[in-house]
Amino acid sequence: MSKLSNYHPTIETVLNNIKRVIIGKEEVSVLSLVALLSEGHVLLEDVPGVGKTMLVRALSKSLDCDFNRIQFTPDLLPSDVTGVSIYNPKEMNFEFRNGPIMGDIILADEINRTSPKTQSALLEAMEEGNVTVDGQTIDLKKPFFVMATQNPIEYEGTYPLPEAQLDRFLLKLNMGYPTEEEELQMLQSVSQKHPIETIEAVMDKKELLSLQIEVSDVFIDEMVQKYIINLITATRSHPLIDLGVSPRGSIALMKAAKAYAFIHNRDYVLPDDVKYLASYVLGHRMLLSQGAKFEGVGSNRVIQEILEQVDVPIRKAQYQ
Amino acid sequence: MTSLHQKDTKVFHALLYLGGFLLFMEWLRPLAIISDTGNVEIFILFAGFCFLLSLIRLTRWIAIPLKFAAVLIILDGLFLQGRIGSQGWLHSFSTQLDYNLGLIQNQVWTDFTPFFRTLLFLIILWLMSFLLHYWFVVARRVFLFVLFTFIYITVLDTFTTYQADSAIIRTVIISLFVFAIASFLNQMDRERLRPAFGKWFASSLIPIVILSSIFIAVGFTAPKFNPIWPDPVPYLTSTAENAGMIEGSDKTVQKVGYGIDDSKLGGSFIQDDTPVFMAESERRHYYRIESKNQYTGKGWERSTNLEFEEQSNGSIDLDLFSSEVKTERLEASITFTEQANFNKLVYPYGLDAITGQEQLELLLEKETGTIEIEGKQTASLLGEYQVAYRYPSFSLEQLSQDNFIDPMDIKAQYLQLPANLPDRVVALAEEITKDATNRYDRSKAIEDYFDNGNYTYQTTDVAIPEGDEDYVDQFLFDTQVGYCDNFSTSMVVMLRALDIPARWAKGFTGGQLTDQSQAFEKEKNTYEITNGNAHSWVEVYFPTVGWVPFEPTIGFTGGADVYQENEGEASETETDEEVDEEEQQQENQQQQEEEQEDTNADVGANNNSNFNVPWYVWLIIVSIIVVLGVMLYVYRYRWLNRLMLYRYPTFDNVQAFERAYHYLLRVLHHQGIKQHSGETLREYAVRVDQQFNLNKMSELTAMYEKILYRNELSLDQDKYAHQLWKDMLTLLL
Repeated sequence: MSKLSNYHPTIETVLNNIKRVIIGKEEVSVLSLVALLSEGHVLLEDVPGVGKTMLVRALSKSLDCDFNRIQFTPDLLPSDVTGVSIYNPKEMNFEFRNGPIMGDIILADEINRTSPKTQSALLEAMEEGNVTVDGQTIDLKKPFFVMATQNPIEYEGTYPLPEAQLDRFLLKLNMGYPTEEEELQMLQSVSQKHPIETIEAVMDKKELLSLQIEVSDVFIDEMVQKYIINLITATRSHPLIDLGVSPRGSIALMKAAKAYAFIHNRDYVLPDDVKYLASYVLGHRMLLSQGAKFEGVGSNRVIQEILEQVDVPIRKAQYQ
Repeated sequence: MTSLHQKDTKVFHALLYLGGFLLFMEWLRPLAIISDTGNVEIFILFAGFCFLLSLIRLTRWIAIPLKFAAVLIILDGLFLQGRIGSQGWLHSFSTQLDYNLGLIQNQVWTDFTPFFRTLLFLIILWLMSFLLHYWFVVARRVFLFVLFTFIYITVLDTFTTYQADSAIIRTVIISLFVFAIASFLNQMDRERLRPAFGKWFASSLIPIVILSSIFIAVGFTAPKFNPIWPDPVPYLTSTAENAGMIEGSDKTVQKVGYGIDDSKLGGSFIQDDTPVFMAESERRHYYRIESKNQYTGKGWERSTNLEFEEQSNGSIDLDLFSSEVKTERLEASITFTEQANFNKLVYPYGLDAITGQEQLELLLEKETGTIEIEGKQTASLLGEYQVAYRYPSFSLEQLSQDNFIDPMDIKAQYLQLPANLPDRVVALAEEITKDATNRYDRSKAIEDYFDNGNYTYQTTDVAIPEGDEDYVDQFLFDTQVGYCDNFSTSMVVMLRALDIPARWAKGFTGGQLTDQSQAFEKEKNTYEITNGNAHSWVEVYFPTVGWVPFEPTIGFTGGADVYQENEGEASETETDEEVDEEEQQQENQQQQEEEQEDTNADVGANNNSNFNVPWYVWLIIVSIIVVLGVMLYVYRYRWLNRLMLYRYPTFDNVQAFERAYHYLLRVLHHQGIKQHSGETLREYAVRVDQQFNLNKMSELTAMYEKILYRNELSLDQDKYAHQLWKDMLTLLL
């Protein structure tokens, strides 16, 4: 991808920090930052042990943010997520104990292993930015970034997230195994002291919030917006897709593209940004037809096909 | 955009549309001259009305009824009787409509009544007002219409009598203004500006007015060269005519004119107004060449060998009719042109003697009446010769006598019919003549039969009998469409079916009076006889009188003069020379296809010789143009590159850079590096750079991206960008 544009200097320090912990996987780090900067959330789908938790921890440590981890199990209750009011005999009143969701960066591990009730407590918090406990609405502090993981190999006793809830996540990513070289490098780096212990924050919360504002100011031309709409419309009429991407998807794609442009030190969005992000943003927002599943065509391939079909705007309207 | 500015835009649009209307007027103006359209001013008024309604953007529900009402008022004023809307009016309106819609159904487009043509024309004007509104105001594509206007006017000027001298000047002025306004509006749109009208007036209109007045003044007063080439029209027309002369094939379109071989009649022919001879005479009458007697079912042949007899001292021993016939002594002089490519003489009925400038050795074939000149290949070499003749008028009484017997030799030669002549031809001949009592009445009945409205005179789409079809039978019963050969042959065959001896005569009609002689009011008139005047008619044998000509072809008046004795000469029942003005006009109209305005033909004849460019010169010129065109196309990017480098010496504005960048894309595309569908510029640039192992395209593209996707209005590194662009172009070509 783009060799012409370098990273935004602040972002580059964060990325370098993460790189010390997570060897390789720069793409996933960048995409996580895309979600973080555009106030979205990430769903990571991968097998255990590839460094999902480590990535989130490195990120939160670099940003000087509170990090909470929720391990989802079948018997987890919504109050275990949101917090609970407990009777204090001394004060003779109920006192609210913050749940793990009251943090800045949350790792929701194995989200598909808990009951839908608990899942929706989390998802509601992600969508609304607040939680309601005992009739009391508590706003979540900003930044609020959820990175949920889901294990694709265990199907027994899992509650797969419904499509309607999947599109609460801005991006759906795959971590993947490291290459041989990367793994060797990793072994060498953890042999004495784990690097996660040594990294220090390179940015504070305030700075992160101002970056989020800057991202929303990134310019996107109407041509590129139309390009996004053309892509989304194409998913709605594609023969292999039963349910196309909703308008929420177009907004998500535009927000993500802005963040991606910003990370690459640009204050305007290119169609390239849109194209690159399309499969991460749109993949989990559409329902493939039975035919596609039968033929083994994944959503990525369908999106690639659409990207090849939809024309990129390359000239201003008056010259067309 | 304030409302004031919107109002100004409307003024621009109105001006633009007015220009469109004025240009459209230039289309209407020549109609009165080049076609038989009358009342052009009404059409112009109507067009103006439609344009006005389109301009003020009246609601459709008001505009359409208004236009419709205008159409009705015009039709009422021009064609319909009675008060508008009254019962009689409605009746004639619906009759007209009904009749013409029927014609549409039957695809007889040519028979539309003037009422319906006018209606259609008004609808076209209506549509044009819409179209021009779209072209000029909505799309602002002015150039094409201006171009077509110029082509239209110049073509009319070249090929018709319309003089477009002032029309060209008007069109130039109008189009300059129209271009100026359109390009100004486009510019404003591109820059998203809306200047006030006053400002535009000062900054743009005044310079345009000054400039165009200078152009026109200079163009008008400057000395002009005469055309270097002669008028190409006669050359083009003669070439086009020759194109039709493909011999040997039955299906071909023949060229009109006198021909020797009549064994296969039928088929269309194209018009040819090349003069064959000029005749100076007191009367306008037919000129005979020969007759034929054997009908084969497909055409005419001679049954006997020709027996030529030498004629002494120019007197011709040819008696077509008996000495009892009343005659008038006349003289005429005939001059063949170079186009006369046959070696037979033409002569009027009653020929006595022929005298030429030199001693002529004339050969006469008595049976057919063919006169040839010994030692001359074509009549054109003969030059001028005088004919003395006694022009006959036949007595009706004499012709009506019925107590005679035809001589054996006449019966033997002139009653022949093919064995397989369909019976229905005979039956028809009997049916036509069932009320007639004598030979003359029978002949007249058959001659007049073709006027019954079922038969049409035309020279195109005339059938040729195939297989065992009979030429006459096909014409009489199947096609009913044809020209003189069809009519005359049919009459001869039907007469023979009734045992009346008849033969088929060939020659020329009386031709056209030339302007020249009319001016001098000479006693004798000069007639020009062209190939288009070639004709065939019928001669019927009356034992007491001789051979009497009949004219069955509809629209032609060339039969014999017949008078009734007791009423004297004054009441001739049929004359072709003394037809009154009205008849003459009618005839002229009907013969329009064969005989054209002689002035045009004159010009053609005179200029033809000047334009003697051999065909191979044309071939060379055309091939050079074709080769040049092909080379220009094949190497188009070579010269386009220079043009672009010249056009964009710097990228001082963003537009120049955008256009230059897109030109580069075009060149890349031409060189085979095509942008895939769905590929972004950046991806494409990377691919291009991989091809050349460079980074230039990517750098250039990054600059372009800023302009395109960031809406940047200036280029920071315009010199560097230009260098990159130039390098890329040089690299590619």
